[in-house]
Amino acid sequence: MTGPHVEKFIVPIGPQHPALKEPAHFEFSVDGETVTSASVRFGYVHRGLEKGAENRNWAQALYLLERVCGICSHAHSTVYALGVERLAGVSAPPRAQAIRQILLELERIHSHMLWVGVAAHEAGYDTLFMYSWRDRETVMDILESFTGNRVNYSANVLGGVKYDLGPAQADSILSGLDYLEKRLHYYLNVVNNDESFLGRTRGVGTMTTEEAENLGAIGPVVRASGVHRDLRVDAPYLMYADFPVTMITATAGDLQARFVVRIQELFESTRNIRALVEHLPEGELSVRFPRKVRAGETVSRIEAPRGGLFYFIKSDGSENPFRVKVRTPSLRNFMSVIVGVVGHQLADVPMILAGIDPCFSCNDRTVIVHREGSDGSAPPSESDSRKDSSSWSKP
Amino acid sequence: MSDVPAGLPKAWTKMLEGLKTWSRIYSPWAIHFNSGSCNGCDIEILATLTPRYDVERFGIKLQGSPRHADVLICTGPVTLQARDRLKRVYDQMPDPKFVIAVGSCATSGGVFQGCYNVVGGIDQVIPVNAFIPGCPPRPEAIIDGVVKLLRSLQVKKVTEKTG
Amino acid sequence: MTTETLLEEAVQLIGDKAGGQSVPEPGRIDLTVEPARLLECVNALTTAHWGYLSAITGLDLGPQDGHLEALYHFCQKAAVLTLRVSLPRDGAVVPSVCGLIPSATLFERELMEMFGIVCEGTPDPRRLFLSDDWPQGVYPLRKDFIVPVPANRPEKGTAE
Repeated sequence: MTGPHVEKFIVPIGPQHPALKEPAHFEFSVDGETVTSASVRFGYVHRGLEKGAENRNWAQALYLLERVCGICSHAHSTVYALGVERLAGVSAPPRAQAIRQILLELERIHSHMLWVGVAAHEAGYDTLFMYSWRDRETVMDILESFTGNRVNYSANVLGGVKYDLGPAQADSILSGLDYLEKRLHYYLNVVNNDESFLGRTRGVGTMTTEEAENLGAIGPVVRASGVHRDLRVDAPYLMYADFPVTMITATAGDLQARFVVRIQELFESTRNIRALVEHLPEGELSVRFPRKVRAGETVSRIEAPRGGLFYFIKSDGSENPFRVKVRTPSLRNFMSVIVGVVGHQLADVPMILAGIDPCFSCNDRTVIVHREGSDGSAPPSESDSRKDSSSWSKP
Repeated sequence: MSDVPAGLPKAWTKMLEGLKTWSRIYSPWAIHFNSGSCNGCDIEILATLTPRYDVERFGIKLQGSPRHADVLICTGPVTLQARDRLKRVYDQMPDPKFVIAVGSCATSGGVFQGCYNVVGGIDQVIPVNAFIPGCPPRPEAIIDGVVKLLRSLQVKKVTEKTG
Repeated sequence: MTTETLLEEAVQLIGDKAGGQSVPEPGRIDLTVEPARLLECVNALTTAHWGYLSAITGLDLGPQDGHLEALYHFCQKAAVLTLRVSLPRDGAVVPSVCGLIPSATLFERELMEMFGIVCEGTPDPRRLFLSDDWPQGVYPLRKDFIVPVPANRPEKGTAE
């Protein structure tokens, strides 16, 4: 009897070109078409940030940590700033908090639209990819007029923000949101009603409520399975207590539900941004921040676009952080995938992985499959595996 | 098209060289490689394919295999794990080949200079023809850098760096 | 349920198995736990479905102090419960919690490679982020690992 035969296929997720040849980092063992075990190996983007933060002062570490991820950089910067401010006993002024929240929600919009485009691309809908990225440019324009950069806005300083919202910017934000809301209605219609889209997403990669709870998954993917978990509601920070968002959940727990939840969340985001812009508190943009932060430990958590972002920050009273521990939502969700995927069909795996909206800064995309008792036929070529990907996702 | 065969009449050699240059300038095939970046630059590179910037109207085609590529568009500060792969991708590209380093990290390591798992700049590993700084550079800047490289091919200012 | 109530609930579940208790900031409770009693505590929390394991933080308190710490953070709504396990620098061993929380494997792998803490019984002891040719026995997040300063870079120019 032949031993386990190793096949390689490339999981079609991410804006990186799918033919990028990277070494194996996800490994699945299958029996027939059913996954029996899964493991993962990262490291490709490991830069040594946590150590780097210890060798920089508190302000320099802010610029470093912003660049953990280019898609959710403001989330990282904010969760760090909030934690360090709490340690130092400093509170950013209300206007700064509101501006931080506006940027967080704008980031959520750009991030979810990016994902919609990329997931659509991987399901074969390049038109939807082009449409959603074209519309996403509206958000990029808003971010650029507000902060001067499309990505890595660097809006935070320890103690507040750098950029103010004037009347001209407020107008451009509001008119940009008008346009976006129209487009979001269009996308919601597609994900709810387009027959061929539904054929590829309904019933695919389903995770039940119980599975989602037990696996400790977080973010839109767990809300799509009916679990009520959203830090903006559970543990409000910034101005979420006064300007709340409604938690969006779905019950189907399949890939379609993940699309729907993300798009509906964006309606909440636009509503939230409007309310903040129209009722922006007056006052300063920042307060003085000490060079040395008094000793202590803090846990800082916010709801990034992919789920709860967790920072543990420890100070020993000096100018440099003693320890900054970063736990990204994608890491937590990968863990839920490698456990939860066991028992599912191999064909569902690419879509399950895409469904958690993995942040590429901590994942690779090549998969090795161990197939018991196979006849050792050649692994699928890249074009073959992409051809198969459309049939994999049929229910 | 690799080297023009030797022993041809001079007029033919000149014509074939011209054809080679023309096809490289007017429809370069590019491959994109991420050596450990935060994806900020990669998102902006991908944005160049989308309707607002539409880099394909310049004839630049982003495709998958190093063996068909004229240009390597590279991001990231080069993590230790990525270093060998980067070298391998570069070696697989046929001559003549050109490398564009996109972003501050690709230029010098960016904010990650000095971090323990980072080499710090693409030019520490392979020769680079053009640097596009920024964190990340705008899609227009990326297109500008690529077009400048192509135009310099036209005036033969670029020395083709072979491996 | 308020955050305070949630935290009281957690303390009731495992307070008797833990040592010291402290409140580092509102909404958080830290409980000191002996390595031998870690699994009992985690079992009590998971059986009662109190929260989920959000992260495992490794801490090196410095060569003078001589101790490492492993912090297990459980989150339920706004409440954060942290189990603190103090370990010696040499021979730091904790039992793996993967038997109770299978998805903890990635957290444990990171803890092991960065701090040299052994999670006994963990199903996958491979490195997670560090490459295979990173030297054995070198733990980057320990305080005695000094990041090497890059040698002076040679003069580099763009293509002529």
